[in-house]
Amino acid sequence: MAIRHLLTLARRSHSPLTHTLRPFSTSSAVSATAPPPPTPSPPPNVMIYDRFAESIKHKLKQLDNPDPRFLKHNSPHPTLTDHTSILATPLTRVTTLPNGLRVATESTLASKTATVGVWIDAGSRFETDETNGTAHFLEHMIFKGTEKRTPRELEEEIENMGGHLNAYTSREQTTYYAKVMDKDVPRALDILADILQNSKFDEKRISRERDVILREMEEVEGQTEEVIFDHLHATAFQHTPLGRTILGPAQNVRTITKDHLQKYISTHYTTSRMVIAASGAVKHEDLVEQVKKLFTKLSSDPTTTSELVAKEPAIFTGSEVRIIDDDMPLAQFAVAFNGAPWMDPDSIALMVMQSMLGSWNKNAGGGKHMGSELAQRVGINEIAESMMAFNTNYKDTGLFGVYAIAKPDCVDDLAYAIMYELSKLCYRVSEADVTRARNQLKSALLSHLDGTSPIAEDIGRQLLTYGRRIPYAELFARIDAVDASTVKRVANCFIFDQDVAIAAMGPIQGLPDYNWFRRRTYWLRY
Amino acid sequence: MYRTAASRLRALKGRAVNRSLTRSASSSAVVTKSSSGGLFSWLTGESSSSLPPLQVPLKGVTLPPPLPDHVEPGKTKITTLPNGVKIASETSPTPSASIGLYVDCGSMYETPHSFGATHLLERMAFKSTTNRSYLRVVREVEAIGGNVSASASREQMGYTYDALKTYVPEMVELLVDCVRNPVFLDWEVNEQLLKVKAEIAEASNNPQGLLLEAIHSAGYSGALGNPLLTSESAISRLDSTILEEFVAENYTAARMVLAASGVEHEELMKIAEPLLSDLPSIPRPQEPKSVYVGGDYRCQSDPGKTHFALAFEAPGGWKKEKEAMTLTVLQMLMGGGGSFSAGGPGKGMYSRLYLRVLNEYPQIQSFSAFNSMYNNTGIFGIQATTGSDFVPKAIDIAVKELIAVATPGEVDQVQLDRAKQSTRSAILMNLESRMVASEDIGRQILTYGERKPVEHFLRAVDEVSLKDIASIAQKLISTPLTMASYGDVIYVPSYDSVSSKFCSK
Repeated sequence: MAIRHLLTLARRSHSPLTHTLRPFSTSSAVSATAPPPPTPSPPPNVMIYDRFAESIKHKLKQLDNPDPRFLKHNSPHPTLTDHTSILATPLTRVTTLPNGLRVATESTLASKTATVGVWIDAGSRFETDETNGTAHFLEHMIFKGTEKRTPRELEEEIENMGGHLNAYTSREQTTYYAKVMDKDVPRALDILADILQNSKFDEKRISRERDVILREMEEVEGQTEEVIFDHLHATAFQHTPLGRTILGPAQNVRTITKDHLQKYISTHYTTSRMVIAASGAVKHEDLVEQVKKLFTKLSSDPTTTSELVAKEPAIFTGSEVRIIDDDMPLAQFAVAFNGAPWMDPDSIALMVMQSMLGSWNKNAGGGKHMGSELAQRVGINEIAESMMAFNTNYKDTGLFGVYAIAKPDCVDDLAYAIMYELSKLCYRVSEADVTRARNQLKSALLSHLDGTSPIAEDIGRQLLTYGRRIPYAELFARIDAVDASTVKRVANCFIFDQDVAIAAMGPIQGLPDYNWFRRRTYWLRY
Repeated sequence: MYRTAASRLRALKGRAVNRSLTRSASSSAVVTKSSSGGLFSWLTGESSSSLPPLQVPLKGVTLPPPLPDHVEPGKTKITTLPNGVKIASETSPTPSASIGLYVDCGSMYETPHSFGATHLLERMAFKSTTNRSYLRVVREVEAIGGNVSASASREQMGYTYDALKTYVPEMVELLVDCVRNPVFLDWEVNEQLLKVKAEIAEASNNPQGLLLEAIHSAGYSGALGNPLLTSESAISRLDSTILEEFVAENYTAARMVLAASGVEHEELMKIAEPLLSDLPSIPRPQEPKSVYVGGDYRCQSDPGKTHFALAFEAPGGWKKEKEAMTLTVLQMLMGGGGSFSAGGPGKGMYSRLYLRVLNEYPQIQSFSAFNSMYNNTGIFGIQATTGSDFVPKAIDIAVKELIAVATPGEVDQVQLDRAKQSTRSAILMNLESRMVASEDIGRQILTYGERKPVEHFLRAVDEVSLKDIASIAQKLISTPLTMASYGDVIYVPSYDSVSSKFCSK
């Protein structure tokens, strides 16, 4: 490219009549609209280097006179803004039925679609070593026919109304939800009630589904991020229920029976641990009435999850797992500290800290200019392919840390950058960085709620974890209560001289040893 | 980084006065304010107060009064400035707003000299402008926690900004500045050129995308045949001058639409008008011509798998609404997907291609109908992935399926009703999202000059009959065939033999 540029310039020097440095400006419209008038080219005897300098100078001159019209509102310095006026939302109505089942809705009656679903306080953590994988197996089997509907009828019913039926299982939560048109809400709820209470679990179907799950397992094993986080949980919460994977070992998938599934439903899908959440074109009273009629067969076992958690708490163990595989092109690892449980007020500060550490990848628009100093280090020194801070909450614990992917020769520098920036949160925190992180967090929380399904999801999850839906205004007030000194205090609890859990995979020979990481959770001089 | 360096410097030599200290004065002032609780509380942050746990409501928070359950959805208001810029907005009760600036410019306006310019422009979005540096752009977006993105297509460029409603002035200002006044500094262009090249090198990981690209370059002669993902050699020729010219020529007032979802029209006008009204008014040029000719493209690569696509022209494009909606229904009707697709019901598992092809032939890994529409033309066809020795059979199946939908009596009313219902709910569910809504406003105004209400499209979907489906499918297969294959292509039958199967019908 440089050569071509030289050639055009050299050619130009033979025609002193040229008035412009733009080699191809042919149409008159172009020169009419181009903002700065073209500078006259320097005399032909000037050295080529000077011509380059001249053209760059000319370009930079455009930057000399910024137009104040375009600089009226924005400022690169983050400030606190009052958002109260925009935080009004339709009321979240919650009704607790006599049997303990909770029904919660946020109605936007003007919309023509709705999401209705069941959020259940159950997941792989409430299994045992022998039944690990049941919750996920159940998620697969629940769409495979009930007393009233064959699988085909069920599928066709949903497809004919243009709806979607979805399910997911995590370590602590299970969700089934349907997204449908307004007039189909009663039918969708009927289907949900049917599959949750009357599923048949046909033996033939179970054995067919085993293969599907085993294949899904292979697929998940291909997704390295999932694998790293599974290993991270396995090592950080070793010998406790949170250490088990969601899918369960292949052996269990082969041996899980109909009894396991039914027992799981009767012990864990209980009324007190379920929330029916809906948003969009739904009326609260109608939904409550319908739920009363439909959800009658659920077990009302009063055992709460807090009792189950207290019986088998998750205990964080500083430890590591490394899977060295020099054939993989990229190394990846996650470093995590013991984080905060859902209810902990400091979990908000941890969310702000996660936002301060930020995330970065090669294609991110911010490049090396991002506010997060970890992102700057990574971007400027080109020591990672991608990096992401994470903060996961559970009932009684959490994980807070950084996950990164890098070329094998950068992992040591990257590990240093990550540990430096993590432990820096205990010592040096600027108010500006905290304000920026707060603004980013607020925006991320609200802009995620784009559509009926994310809102229903938010209602369901918050009712299960907090027992109520936190109003946006309160959430913002809690975020605003986090300042630099809060960040330091919280970092001193969760990071300063605390054990870390590490999971690493790939060509990680260059990754420093465990004690190196442990040593970098505090500074001796700063 | 300099700020950390400066504050560290200050800590070391507290009394020394230097230039970097004055520059960082504002930020260090903030730091000292919070560290008023003695030496050790500065270290540990002990002075911060603790809040009640999250299950307990926080006291002293003023909650805004709740909205009523029924908020009338806002109408789209459009204002055309004297120079031709259109500003459109619609209100919504959500706390966030999404604003987009859409330009009637894409790879079809490129010349052989500027191939790849739109792709590079997409990457050069939100970089230095005459008024603010790249660093400043990034920090201003971060300061309000916003989210910016740019997208390039064959016909339209889109720049979008998503943030809380409170920040509408900031969003509009930055968005307009970045689109209107880019400077294309050489080092920034070169940095992005490298990334574009890397992206092109990785394109082979996405055979579906490559096929779509190939279908256009083989099927169209003229503007729509221009590559969206051009060759590396063409990219290497690009520089800041070409970009400047391309922008000056194409980003004119009459071809721009500022579209917003979740913003009051008056508020938007007050901020946007002064920023956009001084763009010179240049009449909108004729859209460059593209002629559908049909053709064949094949590219040999990794053995074992073959990806192929058969496509036909859908004449008229978006401008012929009735046909466009019929084609959308037809695509839903044929449906299809991957044989591995997991998940619950509702993903088109009872569409024709699923029932008749994917469930019958385990050799086929994916098989689906696709549809890419433009203002005045469009392409419709079937895209598939199979083991390479099964290709001749798979192509026969695709031919059979395309002919079947064109035969009256083959499609039954149940299938059609299902497809119509899916189309209707897909439209409405997508429009739940404010980002989709603002994009819809922008793109519709570029195409139609107005925003048609969603009821209008729903009605068009309702009116689709079995006869319409058969007649549009017949119209499709009477146009010349376009064929593209990628992967192990030695077993792919010749163009003429495939094409003749459609004619003999």
